[in-house]
Amino acid sequence: MKVLLVDDSATMRTIQKRCLTTLGVKNVVEAADGLQAIKLFLSGGFDIVFTDWNMPNMDGLQLLMEIRKTDKTIPVIMITTEAERARVIIAVQAGISDYLVKPFSPEALNEKLSKWVGVPA
Amino acid sequence: MITQTKTKAESTTNLLNPIIGSVLRTFERMLQCVPRRSGLELKHKDSPKFPLSAIVALTGDMNGTIVFSVSEAVSLEIVHRLLGEVVHEINSEVCDAVGEIANMIAGSAKAELEHLNLTLGIPNMVVGTGHEVYYPPEVAHPLCIYFESEMGQFMIEFGFRE
Repeated sequence: MKVLLVDDSATMRTIQKRCLTTLGVKNVVEAADGLQAIKLFLSGGFDIVFTDWNMPNMDGLQLLMEIRKTDKTIPVIMITTEAERARVIIAVQAGISDYLVKPFSPEALNEKLSKWVGVPA
Repeated sequence: MITQTKTKAESTTNLLNPIIGSVLRTFERMLQCVPRRSGLELKHKDSPKFPLSAIVALTGDMNGTIVFSVSEAVSLEIVHRLLGEVVHEINSEVCDAVGEIANMIAGSAKAELEHLNLTLGIPNMVVGTGHEVYYPPEVAHPLCIYFESEMGQFMIEFGFRE
């Protein structure tokens, strides 16, 4: 499984990458914003995308919309502080697969990631 | 004038509880720490200062800033608790971790203030002993909320203009 992990915070990428590694996922590619991420994504081969929403250059919602232009089915999971109902609806309408709100407990992160990488938490 | 002052006071009070709630939520979930509120005051020239601040702008029906200021000990412990790494001084890694905690505090408060249609900015970091954060003149009374915790002392200050 090849994962694209997108967050402008290196701290958040490290936390999520460690969780994925614990779940047995070794092939994790990191991007610090949507612009970097879409270039990597279009190079192909990814099975799932985890992305933040608020990032410089290209945010997570724009990234999602760019991904959906070429791939309607790849799971894209938003991990973000954007928790308002209206914002979640926008993301759902744009084709988000799942959602995890920051701040999250270690258990919540583990549960969400394991659900999508197919490994029991 | 009385009405205007009252409106501003009500607005500030309405912001206070969501911000305190989001601080507690963020520390409990991300850092496994339960902070205790130790003080509240209007910001003044002698307000305590901390060496590291994360400044997050919120824009929408109200425009303002939330500042998360921490002692060096708290900043280093944040990295330790988030990443399990021991660091001995404030560096880019510490700034990133503290900025992310500030982002979550502001974002989680924003979620409770949905009716204000706020948009969150990217955190800006300021490092330096005794640094001061200034607000535009329209922000009459920025508020400081102080916290104690097993990790050390920290502060949230915020100011909004309507």
